[in-house]
Amino acid sequence: MELTVLGQGADTTGGGCASGGCGSSGDQLAHLPEAIRRKVENHPCYSEEAHHHYARMHVAVAPACNIQCHYCNRKYDCANESRPGVVSELLTPDQAVKKVMAVAASIPQMTVLGIAGPGDPLANPERTFDTFRQLTGKAPDIKLCVSTNGLALPAQVEELCRHNIDHVTITINCVDPDIGARIYPWVFWNHRRIKGRKAAQILIEQQQKGLEMLVARGILVKVNSVMIPGVNDAHLKEVSRIVKEKGAFLHNVMPLIAEAEHGTFFGVMGQRGPTHAELQALQDDCAGDMNMMRHCRQCRADAVGLLGEDRGAEFTMERIEHMEIDYAAAMQRRAEVQAQIEREREQQRNRPHEAFVALAAPQGSGRKTRPVLMAVATTGGGVVNQHFGHATEFLVYEASAEDVRFIGHRKVELYCSGGDTCGDAESALQKTIRTLEGCAAVLCSKIGFEPWGLLEAAGIQPDGEHAMEPVEDAVAAVYREMAGAGLLDEPAATARATA
Amino acid sequence: MAYRIIETCVNCWACAALCPSQAISAAVPHFLVDAKKCTECEGDYADPQCAGICPVEGAILNGLGEAANPPGSLTGIAPERMQAAMAEIQAR
Repeated sequence: MELTVLGQGADTTGGGCASGGCGSSGDQLAHLPEAIRRKVENHPCYSEEAHHHYARMHVAVAPACNIQCHYCNRKYDCANESRPGVVSELLTPDQAVKKVMAVAASIPQMTVLGIAGPGDPLANPERTFDTFRQLTGKAPDIKLCVSTNGLALPAQVEELCRHNIDHVTITINCVDPDIGARIYPWVFWNHRRIKGRKAAQILIEQQQKGLEMLVARGILVKVNSVMIPGVNDAHLKEVSRIVKEKGAFLHNVMPLIAEAEHGTFFGVMGQRGPTHAELQALQDDCAGDMNMMRHCRQCRADAVGLLGEDRGAEFTMERIEHMEIDYAAAMQRRAEVQAQIEREREQQRNRPHEAFVALAAPQGSGRKTRPVLMAVATTGGGVVNQHFGHATEFLVYEASAEDVRFIGHRKVELYCSGGDTCGDAESALQKTIRTLEGCAAVLCSKIGFEPWGLLEAAGIQPDGEHAMEPVEDAVAAVYREMAGAGLLDEPAATARATA
Repeated sequence: MAYRIIETCVNCWACAALCPSQAISAAVPHFLVDAKKCTECEGDYADPQCAGICPVEGAILNGLGEAANPPGSLTGIAPERMQAAMAEIQAR
């Protein structure tokens, strides 16, 4: 992912090795102005590279919402479901502050606290701002973020600026009210419920106005968009272009989550979400105009931990009540742990990327190799370090003769939880392999005999040879090995055509 | 006459802050309207505020005991369609 500053006249280096490829992901942020770089370098939601190392949490203090989206159902609350708008336990601001302090003491990689719901944070201004106010005093090292639908944003921008919040996410699914009318059935505006096209028009106006006001005040804005095939998929490229023009920093196109059992309009009506390939194609289309975020996990409004994990269950209010925490010592420990992370990142950055030097070799022989997707099992730290059977998600990279770039992630069900659950192993494993469809290889620290055979049979090469190596280096190395073995040659016709 | 919140309320707090008469309070298992205080927003707003923002169809009854937001009015999902979907899920 490339993190270029948009609309601020930064001297960006454009394509080539500076565009986030070439295995040296640490350099992604190098060209940003110092002030911006400091804001995003350890923010897991704004920097793809940071999300391997740093943790975030959301506190669910904002239950009320001022609009309805067709992908949301306010009745829903399930501990096993992971998607925005879902929480298990609503907190008061005092409880939220206590929880943040407990989590930040237990997970020293935590850098970011966000308020994202379960309703709209700015439709609950007292609860949201009371939480921020207390945290600014008690945990000054934690970055504060807020995520909003934008309807109340213009009215709340001044208040936001008073709370040292330098990251705001606005969910913008459209700039055309006719499309908006198919996504938002109503908004509550000036003390009335407004429906239909007019509702969408009001929402869009407030979102755009809010975006402009935030940019004018130097606040970093990320725009989230939900990709809804047949509704706004073709339109999102224009959304991307417009929000970039207005100075948004990053665009995050997320897939629609719609299941009938969620009771949402889209779920009940059978609206499908995009396939992995459709999502990637749209993200690539938008990338010409805009910096794209591809590592979003669409987390719950009470998520805790690294982006790929949710440790919320460890920090219920009941458990927190019994924790003894020395806040000052915890902050000191965070500083130490995070300094160590930075030292490790620096080392990873400075490692020679031998794999890439060798990547060009097969081309010298006149052969052209095709780009392929590779899946990686990692628990964080930016290295290949997870057992295939323990992975709940795989990071997907595209490797080509020129570079390695992050594409996204794919969630899977655990098939190997040990003990007596192995009766179902076959079907869950088969599902995992189906999820990895389209990938040429899967990199992990270790892998069992059975999945090895099934992956090979499915045309996916398992690889356990690069354990503990930096992810992008390992992907490049596997690409080189496969290219060397002649596995990645372009089909003969294509090779001739481009020769 | 007064509005009433019933058991399908999901406790989202949206209504309480809007009530011009401070008639709505958090309670267990769900929010309640104090019938003595409720004015149906007369004199303050054109529309009753609680019913205007409530996201759950059927959770608020008007003074006549009717759903202020009947099934299908907020989600756009026709009641028959919702029933069919739920039956299909239960049959799985």
